[in-house]
Amino acid sequence: MKLGAFEELVLLTVGALKDDAYGVTIKEMLEKHTGKRPSIGALHSALYRLEEKGYVTSSDGGATRERGGRRKKFYQLSGSGQKMLVEANELRMRFAKQIPGLNLSAE
Amino acid sequence: MNDSPHPPKWANRLLEWFCSDDVIETVQGDLFELYEKREKAKGRAIANLRFVRDVLSIYRPFALKKKRYNSNNYAMFKNYYRVAVRNMMRHKMYSSIKIGGFALGIAACILISMFLYDELNYDKNYPDGDRIYRVINQWNEKGDENKWPAMTAPFAGVVRNEIPEVEIVGRIIPYNWFLGGNNLFRSAEATQNTYEERFVYADQEFIDMLGFRFVAGDPKTALSEPNTLVISQRKAEKHFPGINPIGKTIFLNDDEEDPRIISGVMETLPSNTHFDFDFILPLKGVEFWKGEQSSWCCSNYETYVKLRPDADHERVLNKLVDIRDKYYVTYLRYRGNQAADDVVRYRGFELQPVEDVHLHSTDIGDRYNHGDIKIIWMFGVVAILILLLACINFINLSTAKSANRAKEVGLRKVVGSARGNLIMQFLTESVLLSLISFSLGILIARVSLPYFNELANKSLTFPFDTIWFIPGLLASVLFIGFLAGIYPSFFLSSFKPIEVLKGKLSMGSKSSSLQGSMVIFQFAASVILIIGAVVVNRQMNFILNKKLGFNKDHIAIIQGTNTLEDRIDPFKEELKKLPQVKNATATHYFPVSNMKRDQNAVWIEGRQKIDIAVGAQFWRVDYDYIETMGMKVVQGRDFSREMASDSIAIIINQTMADQLGFDDPIGKRITNGYARNIIGIVEDFHFESVTDPIEPLAMVLGRRRQMIAVKVSSEDLQGTMASITDLWDSFMPNQPIRYEFMDQRFAEMYDDVKRTGIVFTSFAILAIVIACLGLFALSAFMVEQKRKEIGIRKVLGATFRNLFHSLSSNFLKLITISLIVAFPLGWYTMKRWLENYEYGIEVTWEILAISGLTILIISIATISYEIVRAVRVNPAETLHSE
Repeated sequence: MKLGAFEELVLLTVGALKDDAYGVTIKEMLEKHTGKRPSIGALHSALYRLEEKGYVTSSDGGATRERGGRRKKFYQLSGSGQKMLVEANELRMRFAKQIPGLNLSAE
Repeated sequence: MNDSPHPPKWANRLLEWFCSDDVIETVQGDLFELYEKREKAKGRAIANLRFVRDVLSIYRPFALKKKRYNSNNYAMFKNYYRVAVRNMMRHKMYSSIKIGGFALGIAACILISMFLYDELNYDKNYPDGDRIYRVINQWNEKGDENKWPAMTAPFAGVVRNEIPEVEIVGRIIPYNWFLGGNNLFRSAEATQNTYEERFVYADQEFIDMLGFRFVAGDPKTALSEPNTLVISQRKAEKHFPGINPIGKTIFLNDDEEDPRIISGVMETLPSNTHFDFDFILPLKGVEFWKGEQSSWCCSNYETYVKLRPDADHERVLNKLVDIRDKYYVTYLRYRGNQAADDVVRYRGFELQPVEDVHLHSTDIGDRYNHGDIKIIWMFGVVAILILLLACINFINLSTAKSANRAKEVGLRKVVGSARGNLIMQFLTESVLLSLISFSLGILIARVSLPYFNELANKSLTFPFDTIWFIPGLLASVLFIGFLAGIYPSFFLSSFKPIEVLKGKLSMGSKSSSLQGSMVIFQFAASVILIIGAVVVNRQMNFILNKKLGFNKDHIAIIQGTNTLEDRIDPFKEELKKLPQVKNATATHYFPVSNMKRDQNAVWIEGRQKIDIAVGAQFWRVDYDYIETMGMKVVQGRDFSREMASDSIAIIINQTMADQLGFDDPIGKRITNGYARNIIGIVEDFHFESVTDPIEPLAMVLGRRRQMIAVKVSSEDLQGTMASITDLWDSFMPNQPIRYEFMDQRFAEMYDDVKRTGIVFTSFAILAIVIACLGLFALSAFMVEQKRKEIGIRKVLGATFRNLFHSLSSNFLKLITISLIVAFPLGWYTMKRWLENYEYGIEVTWEILAISGLTILIISIATISYEIVRAVRVNPAETLHSE
């Protein structure tokens, strides 16, 4: 199955946030690292698709006051999600190595 | 929960409305959290704005409520819709005839309704308009009934003082009288005169009562000083673009002795009022001749009153009669006028609501261009008729095609459909068709609106901005859908499943008698409309070609010649020297409408106190008038320059000679206060509408010379007018020449009549088209049913004629019956209509025959198409399948 560029970013963020990945935190992290401001609708839409494809799983969290009593929906990276990220990265590296002068290294 | 977030409520509600239950909690929570953060960081306004943006961003497929209407109703409606669309698609020709005919009918109805709406909404916008009335005079003598609105000058003042029920009373002079009508208009700062029309005189109270809105100046005082002038906004913009015209000085007709100061700019009158002025001159301080304002002699003032809310109508009318006796009759008796007793006996009053002036004034002699409630009714009936014809097409085709749906009905019943469901199904179908037809109809109406406007001389627009328009249309869609669908749905849903599934139901035969009567109705209506159209058009032609008693062709009327002053005679003589000019005459009395008129009371000399006066036009003309206008002197002679005594001579028309009761009028003396010798009798000519009887008329020599009529030769009209223009320019370099041709003016007089004829004819044709569409579809259907029969007959040796006859006879029978029904109805209706005309044509057999023949030919042509096609098919093709 394919992974869109934005979906991949979201998937990475979910993984990076570990246990604290829900709408608002994901949005803020994306903003911080990419400088872009995804709309909350686009974000939820992507999360919804990722869950359908099985790359993330979700669980309901507790309600807090500032959410008007609404519960959070936390997302976790699933096994297949992890595998997808690795595959995507490998694909990228394979191509990158063939570009002369481009020196990619993991941090 | 005071500390919970407060984003815009409506946006939140919107979110809850479209968002599915699975998603809402998470998303809403996120939004609230973000909102709170933003509110703290950036303030409430920005937070609100972002919240709305976020809500909109959620509107994506993942978040939307899933369509989960599991109720059977919805599913059935979906099914009805699908079946209806499939049916339409399968029978493309029938569907397009159904929809097309319907759409045409609806378009016609929409246009007519807009026209009627406009006509019915005249004069509705005055403050307390329901209490404003125009005072109307009545003359109630049997055989001589009459109504007219003009009152004497002091009448309004007496009403103000003596009838406490009247809150306010104001006068207007809307006639071509002194400066009323048209004038040359010049600002004191300008050198060029401009010709302007639509001047009236009015009281300050007149403006107060009708509440005209002002753009500049004070409406409360604009007419309260003499020598002021109120002008309309559009004229202000024309003469004073970008300048405030208040206080500017105006000269009318170059009269610098009598300057006018602009005291107010009024909003331009809307098209839906019976008033038609652009300039108001004050009546304050005006006295047209010495003693005029206090004299009960002459009626020139239309008088409007506003009654108090609690006023009793009857009492006001009684008080008006008291005023009549106290002042007018007293005046007549003092003058020894024999009419006084008749006035007491026959003269009465009426208060005409201002709203009624436009449509209910055909029997009132005023000079406005009125609508006519009879025409309104006529168009209303035509609109309903056309709609009915379209509905009948629909009903007929639906029932005729019922055989195709019978199996469906049977099956539906077997699997459990109740009759109510089936009725619902067919109603849904017809509402759907009605919706499609309406959309198409609106489109047609929209496209043809400019042409219709031109035809009807209106400036109608679609009232999309009014609240009722869209709901009204939707209601009509439903109503028409039900109207057309109710019979077919009951009919179709009545089939018994066993019979139809066994194939027992014969093809559409069950309804044939009803079908027949509906076809008869359609064609009878069409025939009546054709008879109407033929009669209307013939009557119009009759009017336009009637012998007038003068020759209107090749006469150019040059206007505004009074500014030539004493050079008018030299100018006229120069004109007559031009080779193409046959003759010329200076006057402003002409036998076309909207020209000067002068009504006088005339007696045989010495009998002023014995006889009742003959009311006659007094036209001041010159020596060349009768010859230039091509009129005929039937007895006596024309005015002559050789006879000095002709300055006290008078020429009268035949009607006047009759009314005065002379056997040999030549040499007799008559008087209107000033005695004159009758020297000639001119043949009667029509000087008002030819639809009115010719009234008494007299001509005397005089110097009323606002216009010069020039009789020119018929060749090279352009060249002639160019040389006349050159001549004019050499006399009057500062005033552009203004002329019109008399035949054009004459044609304009009958514009309304002509328009009515054309509009009526167009709608009659439309009705026939719709009826024929239906007939065409019915015949096509019949032929389709009989294809095998035709094949077998052909094999057995039937000729083309045999077949054509057997196929068409049924329809021809129906059409013949409709002719029999339509002839007496059409004949009677048109006879009644022609009674409106003083000189009307007869409804002859010839007219009926032409109408009947037209319908016969059109309908035979319509049914022939399908029949001929079917008969010419090789029988092998229709029979080989079995």
